[in-house]
Amino acid sequence: MYRSPGRTVTEADIVIFAGLSGDYNVLHTDAEFMKASIFGERIAHGLLGLSIQQGLLGRSEPRRADERLVGLKWKFRGPIRIGDTLHVEARIAAKHDGEKPESGLITMQRRVLNQHGEVVQEGETEHLVGRRPG
Amino acid sequence: MSSGHAAPGVERKLYFEDVTVGLVLETPGMTLTTAHVGMFSGLCDTRLADPLTVPELLPLCLSSGLGWRVPQPPLVVLAFMGFEWRFLRPARVGDTIRSVSKSLAKRLMKEGGVVIEERNILNQRDELVQGGKLTLLVARRPAP
Repeated sequence: MYRSPGRTVTEADIVIFAGLSGDYNVLHTDAEFMKASIFGERIAHGLLGLSIQQGLLGRSEPRRADERLVGLKWKFRGPIRIGDTLHVEARIAAKHDGEKPESGLITMQRRVLNQHGEVVQEGETEHLVGRRPG
Repeated sequence: MSSGHAAPGVERKLYFEDVTVGLVLETPGMTLTTAHVGMFSGLCDTRLADPLTVPELLPLCLSSGLGWRVPQPPLVVLAFMGFEWRFLRPARVGDTIRSVSKSLAKRLMKEGGVVIEERNILNQRDELVQGGKLTLLVARRPAP
């Protein structure tokens, strides 16, 4: 199993992600509106959490040959709030032959947890990985 | 709150009841630049072997903003519940992507309605770059 370092999600992360993605949904950008919501405050974009965990896991896994992400099944289980510290736990659940002789497929199971140990996101990713020559 | 005195039309929103199953919506295009890649890589700590390769998750993230630019008012999405996605072709800096989406199904729930959206991201050659199915929790129209 791989366990990533932690990362604290900041207001700046959310503002930058809104600017980059163009997703200015009030959930992420209007603090006053969100005071009255069930969350009580702005929350991070789900896709920001997904992108952050991808980077976090990249810091804790070995680099695999010619790796490419090919598939994703993902659940957003709970909100990510400003100030939450996330880490990722991941394991390789399966390995298969690929369609082509030069690569195989691995399936990873991942969970994104906050500082309270709550799973905020989880899912499965599928990766093409190069095979050892010869 | 700012919504009290908005002119009619300005605050128009689409609710669960307004979702038309089967309606196809296409966004404007977005040309992928080294600025997008640099900002995304810096924000998310993505390590790239080649600076002209677009990180796999970036087109998906951009499609969420492009989705606000279709010729209809925005859907009141309460939560993005989950999705299944396939990455079929790598995108490169200089490619122009757009997103084509369609509601496949809708189901009424206690706290809102669930909408299943099919979304495909195409490039300037109309090749499918990535796509999948998203599950969204959408607000019901408030009682008048």
